[in-house]
Amino acid sequence: MRPGWLVTLSLLISVAAITVYSQLLRVPAVRNNPEGYVAAFAIATTIAALAVALGRRWYGWATLAVSLLLLLGSATFNFVLARIPEAHTTLRVRERPAAFTLPDADGRPVSLADYRGQKPVVLVFYRGYW
Amino acid sequence: MSEAEKAGVEIIAVSPDPNARSHEMAQRLHLSYRFVADSDLAVTRRYGLVHARGGASGEDVPIPTTVVLDRDGVVRWLWISNNFQVRPDPEAVLAAVRGL
Repeated sequence: MRPGWLVTLSLLISVAAITVYSQLLRVPAVRNNPEGYVAAFAIATTIAALAVALGRRWYGWATLAVSLLLLLGSATFNFVLARIPEAHTTLRVRERPAAFTLPDADGRPVSLADYRGQKPVVLVFYRGYW
Repeated sequence: MSEAEKAGVEIIAVSPDPNARSHEMAQRLHLSYRFVADSDLAVTRRYGLVHARGGASGEDVPIPTTVVLDRDGVVRWLWISNNFQVRPDPEAVLAAVRGL
């Protein structure tokens, strides 16, 4: 395979990964598998490296440099910066959580005890933004 | 009738932000939510769900967590995030609720 085709393929994979993960973030299959973009950049880097091995043209080196940068950047983000440390939670399956009372948006108190014997509860803890 | 009323389930969304009004899961499943504010993270801390200094400005933030409690208030499904990009699939939550 000619180096030119490999370089194009490498760039297409990088562009596709960036497009998918920026435009389709709302799709759970995309959002919940961020390792997908790291894998895509790893493949793009490998193909660019192959292109350089087959014919040392400047655009091969440039593409290799770009894919390597994307790979290292995305891997650092996904495996280091986005990591949340292990939670030492007191929540246990088959146990009741500690009781609480917190104000809702209108200032009314809400307690887990309100729902016991009434209906199941889905309790979601989130940052409040993003 | 919303899915929540059909499923007969109450969703309580806890965040440190007293002005929080929306959540991706609410929008995706068109469920009704009660948004409650844990402004000083006291409850979040009691449950051991705080990421110390994990916020953008170095503040303590909650670890994104979803818990399904049955009618007796017992935990039946628990999902705790270890990567802030990843959220629980709303469909998985709904399936856990239906399986109660």
